[in-house]
Amino acid sequence: MSQEMFKRILRSGWTNFKRNSYVSFGTTGVMALVLFVFLGLMTLNVVANSITQSIEDKVDVSVYFKTTTAEEDILKIKTDIEALPAVAFVEYISRDQAFEDFKARHAGNALIQESLAELDDNPLQASVNIKAKDSSEYAGIANYLEGTRFRALIEKINFYENEQVIARVQNISKGLRSWGMATTLLLSIIAVLVTFNTVRLTIYTQHQEIEIMRLVGGSNWHIRAPFLVEGVLYGLFASLLALAVFYPALSFISADVADKIPGAELSKYFITHAPQTVLTVVVIGVLLGVVSSTIAIRRFLRI
Amino acid sequence: MIEFKNVSSVYNDGFIALSAIDLTIEDGDFVSIVGPAGAGKSTLLRLLIKELEPSEGEVLVDGVSLANVHRADIPLLRRKIGTVFQDFKLLASKNAYENVAFALEMTGASDDQIAEDVPKVLAIVGLADKMTNFPHQMSGGEKQRLAIARALIHRPRIMLADEPTGNLDLVNSHDVLQLLKKIHSLGTTVIMVTHNRDLVNSLEKRVITMEKGKIVRDQKDGGKYVI
Repeated sequence: MSQEMFKRILRSGWTNFKRNSYVSFGTTGVMALVLFVFLGLMTLNVVANSITQSIEDKVDVSVYFKTTTAEEDILKIKTDIEALPAVAFVEYISRDQAFEDFKARHAGNALIQESLAELDDNPLQASVNIKAKDSSEYAGIANYLEGTRFRALIEKINFYENEQVIARVQNISKGLRSWGMATTLLLSIIAVLVTFNTVRLTIYTQHQEIEIMRLVGGSNWHIRAPFLVEGVLYGLFASLLALAVFYPALSFISADVADKIPGAELSKYFITHAPQTVLTVVVIGVLLGVVSSTIAIRRFLRI
Repeated sequence: MIEFKNVSSVYNDGFIALSAIDLTIEDGDFVSIVGPAGAGKSTLLRLLIKELEPSEGEVLVDGVSLANVHRADIPLLRRKIGTVFQDFKLLASKNAYENVAFALEMTGASDDQIAEDVPKVLAIVGLADKMTNFPHQMSGGEKQRLAIARALIHRPRIMLADEPTGNLDLVNSHDVLQLLKKIHSLGTTVIMVTHNRDLVNSLEKRVITMEKGKIVRDQKDGGKYVI
């Protein structure tokens, strides 16, 4: 295709878009609404992820060592655990540290403070807190600890007390994710159908023109191309409109959401991910416009 | 040369539009096709631009059977044959200049060539001062002249006019006929379907009369509208 022809098609698409301003405005508006729903779904996914993340962050496994265990051995165990692929990080809390933490935690309680002062020896045990990459890994880590050569030094692994809680957290996370995915999929299908029908109606209003173009010798490609350009324009303007509404709306609700769901910093997330967000919405918008136009115009080209 | 060989056309609802038609139209002829509504006049024209396929028989243009014209080549056939319709069939969203330019754009003509040819052809049909008008801003006569300009832009060897004056008053009908005569004088074969008795009689050319899908009269020269 020559450059001249390409320019002509672009110009023709743009002219159609401008001249059918009411229809173009309506179609763009509906598409913008659809894309806004997409952005809403993206936001919900971010919120759901941060909820599951913050729940999962609260889960860990602690290993308590007998008070007679040497720090050197504990550090060796720590290194062993850190080498496990399922482990995200390991924190060692020495007996002294545990004692200080305990004292600090109960700083306001005079009775406890007095009792602590009378102790000859530190009764608290050293421990390591293990955070797994995924909450499903804790059972495996606990198993590993059961079989380790240092098992004799371990007083207690609190996984068994937490086991049920961890399982419940996993269920909630899984539920949130799969429901989120199902909702996204369902709403996406509805959104695509709404866009498709809107574009189809728009093209239907011009079906007589398409028939005429065919009768005066217009080839399929010549007729179709300006409509595809129109489709791109609908998608482009709709995505820009949706984004122009989305970002201010986000900054408006972000503080409220962060108050209610700690960790869900929506504004921050979508500003850091702005290039991906903008690109995703524009690509979805343009694709929706072009695909809908292509399918819609097909039936009018069979004359 | 246009040839219809034993052509029949039956619509989906069983209506017989044409029944075993044999007809030859030589290059440079000016043929009027007359007859009552439903006689099959427009069907003849629709077969020529492959808007319809014959149920039986064969339509040939310059010796080439239209049955052999591939679907993708139909636009080329339609560019070779200029067509004017009773309802003008103009692109409502395009102005006069763009309506004519569109037909030329299809052929891959350059912008320069379009800018040169379109005003010329609009001047021929007397619309030089209406180039930026949209169809809804034009009278019936102007619309039909615009449709003729569009059909002319390819310099077609065959011009089909389906009731070109059907929606026009006497004066405008006369103008359109003069235009068709002018086009014919340049060597174009013109086939006009019409109900306009005065128009046909004033032409004194070949007149084909149709009834119920059949040719009932073919007056080669100085034909008159007789029904």
